[in-house]
Amino acid sequence: MGKASFVVRRTLQLVVTLWAVGTVLFGLFRLMPGDPTSYVISSQMTQEARQRLIESYGLNDPLYVQYFRFLENLVQLNFGQSFHSNQPVTDIIATYMPNTLVLMLSAFVVAYILGITLGVLSGWYRGSRFERSTVITALTARSVPTFYVGLIVLWIFGAELGVIPMSGMTSLGTGGQNTGFLDMVFSVDFLKHLIAPASVLAFYYMGYPLLIMRSSMLEVLSEDFIDVCRAKGLKERTIMFKHAARNALLPIVTAAAIALGYAVGGSVLIETVFAWPGIGREMVRAVLRRDFPVAQGTFIVLASTIIFLNFAADLAYGYLDPRVTYD
Amino acid sequence: MVRSDADMKRRDFLKATGAGGTVGITALAGCSGGGGGGDGSSGDGSSGDDGSSGDGSSGDDGSGDDGSDSGGGSNLPTYTYTNNAQSYNPPRHDAINLIASQFGDELGLDIEVDVLEWGTLFSRVSQEYDYSFATWHTFFVSEPVTELNNLFNSNNVDPGQGNYSGYQNEDLDELMTSYLAEPDADTRIDQCHEIQQTLMDDVPTMPITQMPQAAIYNSNQTSNWEPTLASGFNSYWTMVNLEMEGGETVLKGYWPETLSTMNVLGHNDESKHVYQFNMLYDKLLQLNPDGEMDPEVSLATDWNRVDETTMEYTIRSDHSWHDGEDVTAQDVAFTYNYINDNEVPLYSTQAQYLESAEAVDETTVRINMSQPLGPFNLSVANIIPIIPEHKWADRSNPAQANIEEPVGSGPMEYDYWEQGSEFGLVRNDDHFAPVSFERRFWRVIPEASTVWENLISGDLNYEPFGRIDRQLDQNQDNENIGTQFGTAPTFWHFTSNTRQEGLDDPQLRKALVETIPRTPIVDQILFGFPEPGFNVVSPAFGPLHTEDITTYEESVDAARSRLEEAGYSWNDDGMIQAPSE
Repeated sequence: MGKASFVVRRTLQLVVTLWAVGTVLFGLFRLMPGDPTSYVISSQMTQEARQRLIESYGLNDPLYVQYFRFLENLVQLNFGQSFHSNQPVTDIIATYMPNTLVLMLSAFVVAYILGITLGVLSGWYRGSRFERSTVITALTARSVPTFYVGLIVLWIFGAELGVIPMSGMTSLGTGGQNTGFLDMVFSVDFLKHLIAPASVLAFYYMGYPLLIMRSSMLEVLSEDFIDVCRAKGLKERTIMFKHAARNALLPIVTAAAIALGYAVGGSVLIETVFAWPGIGREMVRAVLRRDFPVAQGTFIVLASTIIFLNFAADLAYGYLDPRVTYD
Repeated sequence: MVRSDADMKRRDFLKATGAGGTVGITALAGCSGGGGGGDGSSGDGSSGDDGSSGDGSSGDDGSGDDGSDSGGGSNLPTYTYTNNAQSYNPPRHDAINLIASQFGDELGLDIEVDVLEWGTLFSRVSQEYDYSFATWHTFFVSEPVTELNNLFNSNNVDPGQGNYSGYQNEDLDELMTSYLAEPDADTRIDQCHEIQQTLMDDVPTMPITQMPQAAIYNSNQTSNWEPTLASGFNSYWTMVNLEMEGGETVLKGYWPETLSTMNVLGHNDESKHVYQFNMLYDKLLQLNPDGEMDPEVSLATDWNRVDETTMEYTIRSDHSWHDGEDVTAQDVAFTYNYINDNEVPLYSTQAQYLESAEAVDETTVRINMSQPLGPFNLSVANIIPIIPEHKWADRSNPAQANIEEPVGSGPMEYDYWEQGSEFGLVRNDDHFAPVSFERRFWRVIPEASTVWENLISGDLNYEPFGRIDRQLDQNQDNENIGTQFGTAPTFWHFTSNTRQEGLDDPQLRKALVETIPRTPIVDQILFGFPEPGFNVVSPAFGPLHTEDITTYEESVDAARSRLEEAGYSWNDDGMIQAPSE
C-alpha cells in the first residue's frame, strides 16, 4: 500500500474515531449526576423560571434529539454557547487556549531538549555516576506531584526571595494595558511570569523523554553498526549524536506526539497554583458546573489534537526511518 | 456514655469528623482547594441510596442496661444526611460528618452520610426532596420573610417549589402572607417576630452557625469599611464610603475563580457577580448600614406609596449612563417592564409582584404591583438594577445575551475584562455618590496562600470574599492587615425533611438540634469566627430580629431526656426506637 492510500485509510479512521469520541463525551456528560441548571440558578429563582431555563438550553428535548443536534453542530465546528457565560464555546476556547499553548509549548520544548540530551548522555555513559544521577532525577521529576513542586518554587523564589511573581501572566493591576495577545507574550513582564510555571512543568515533562531515550540508546548501542562506526575511526561524539541518538530517536516521536496532544489540555494543577488562566482550569470548571457545551467543546478539541498528532507521528516515522513502510 | 457536646475535646472532635475531616483540616492548613479526590469520610460507608426503611437489627425488647427501657417501639428508618464533597467545601464537609456521627453515636440514630457533588446534592434536596437532613450556607439577603415564605409556605411543597423541608403550618402561612402584604413597617416587625418564634418552636430548620461578615484589608492602604445588610463589606454603601490611605488610588481585590459573564440579567447571583454589578449599575434605592433606604446615595431621591399596589419614585434629573446618554424615568420604567415581560429568571421572585411600570414625567416613575407587597423597597426597588433602554431594547432574550462591555450608570464604569485573569473598573467621576479610589480590579488567584502574601505586601489591598479559614486565623494580627467583623444575615442551616417518618415529630427535630455540636463546629472547624446558630432571622436584620424565641442548649443529655419524655426508647444495641402507638 502506498502513502496516499495509507493517508486516506487513516483519515477515514480518524473520522470514525472522532465520532466515537464525540458520542462517548455526549453520553458521559448526560450520565453524570447533577442538574446543569442548579449551577446557573439563584436560590430565589421560581420553579417556572427554572423550567424555562431548561427549555432554553434544549435539555427538555429527548436525548436522541439532543444527540443529533450535537452531531450536526459538531460537523459545523459549532460547539454551542456556554450555559454560564452565554459566550460561544469557540470564543472561550480561543480565549484560554493560547495562554495554555504558550505555557505548555515553552515547557515542552525545554523538557524535550533537556530530556533527549540527558537521555543520550546517560545511555552513552551507562553505569556511571552521571547515569545514576540522571535516572534518579528523572524518576523524581515524574514522581513528585507538580503542584507540590510549584508550591515550593513559589514559596522559595516568590515569597522568600521575591525573584518571581506570585501569580498570573502579568503583574497585578496591569490588565487592559496590552493591545493584543502577541504584545503581551513578548513583554518582559509576561516572560517573568512564564519562567516559574514553565520550569516546573519542564522539570516534570523532562523525565519521560529522558528515560525513553536512555533505554532506546542502550538498545541501539548494542547493535553492530555502532562497532562499525568505531572501526571506521569516527569520533565518539559523532557516533553518539549522529548515529546512535538518531537511530534511538524513533520512540520519542510517538511519545512527543502524545505528550504534545495532552499539552493542549493544559495542566490544571499548575494553572491553579500559578493562577495561570489556561484551558485546563476552564475545562475542569466546566465539568464541575455541568456546563455541557464548554466541557464537550474543550474535550473534543483535546481529543482531536491527540488523534491528529498521532497521525502526524505515524507519517513522520516514514521520514525518520526509511525501513518503515505504509503496508 | 452520654456527654455534653460543648465539652467536646479536640481529640474526640478529630475522631468524629473521621478520615475525611482530618484531611479537610490539614488541607486548610496549607493549600486549600487543590486536592480533589476522595471523600473518604468515615461515616458515609454506604453507596447512598436514600433512607430505605431499615428494620435491620430487630430491636428486641431488652432489659436495657444503659438505663433506658426499650418500650416496644419500632425502629426509626435509616436517615440520609447529604454532604458536599470534601474538596468542594472542606469545613462544611467536616461539620456534617461530625453532626452525623453525633446523631449515630449519641442518639442511636441509624444514619448514612451521602457525599454528593454540589449539583446533585442541590437537586436531590431542593428539587426531588430525596434526603433526610441537609446543610449548606443560606443566602438570605435584605428581606428575610420573602425567603422564609419560599422555604416554608405550605403551598410550595410540591417538588421544586422551594419548601424542601416539607414543613406545613397554616398559621405561619397566614402570618407570612400578611407580612408580605403589610405596608406598615412597625406592623411588619411584630409579624416577623412571630414568624421566627413559630419557626424556632417547630425547628424545621436550624442555623448551625450564624456566619460573620468579614472585612479583610491592607490597613496601610484602605480604611473606613462600613457594611450593609445584603452585601456586607462589599456593598455599594461600603464602596462609596471607603477611604484610601497612604496615597493609594487603586482598590485591589481578588477572587478564586473567574467571572462568568458581564450580563447583569444573566448571571447566577453568585456574589462575585453581584459585587461587580452593584458598582456598575444603580438601583432605585440603596441601603445604609442601619438597613434604611438612603436617598443621598440612591438614584431615587423621593418615593411614596400611592396605594396598596402602586409605588411612585422621583429620580435624579442630572444623571447619565456611562456612555453619556441621560438616565430618565423612561429607562426605569423600561427596566421593570423588560424584566417582567421577558421573564428574566434571575429576577423571577421580584417579577411575581410586578404588573407594569410607566414614566409619569421626565423624573417620575410609577410601578404597579400585581399583588400587594409591603416591603417593596427592600424586596424589589433595592434589588433590580436599572439598565439603559437604548442598549437593551433590541435584545430579545436578555438572560442569555452575550454582553462584552456593560453600560450602566453606577459609580464605577467597565474598563477591561481579561477572562480568567483580571477584571477592571474605573471611577465614574460624574456619579452622585462617587468612590474615593480611581480604579478597582480583581485578579483571579485560586491559591489562598498567594492571596495572603499579596495582601500583606500590599499588592492586593482587600479580600472581597471574606474567607474564613486558617490563613485568616494566622494572619489577622499582622501589622499590615486590618479586619472587621459583623453578623451576616446568612447561616449554615440544618434542615430536616419532615416528609420522612419520624422527622415529622417536632420533639425528635428538637432533640436533633440539641445534639448538634454547634460550639465545637464554630471553635474548631471555623476558627471561632462565627457565632453558634440560634435564630433563622439573624441579628443582622436589626429590628426584624428578636431574641424572644425558643433556644436550644447544646446537650446530648437534654436531647435524650426530651426524647424519653416523648416516649422514645433505646434497644440493647443503643438504637433509638420510636414511641409505641
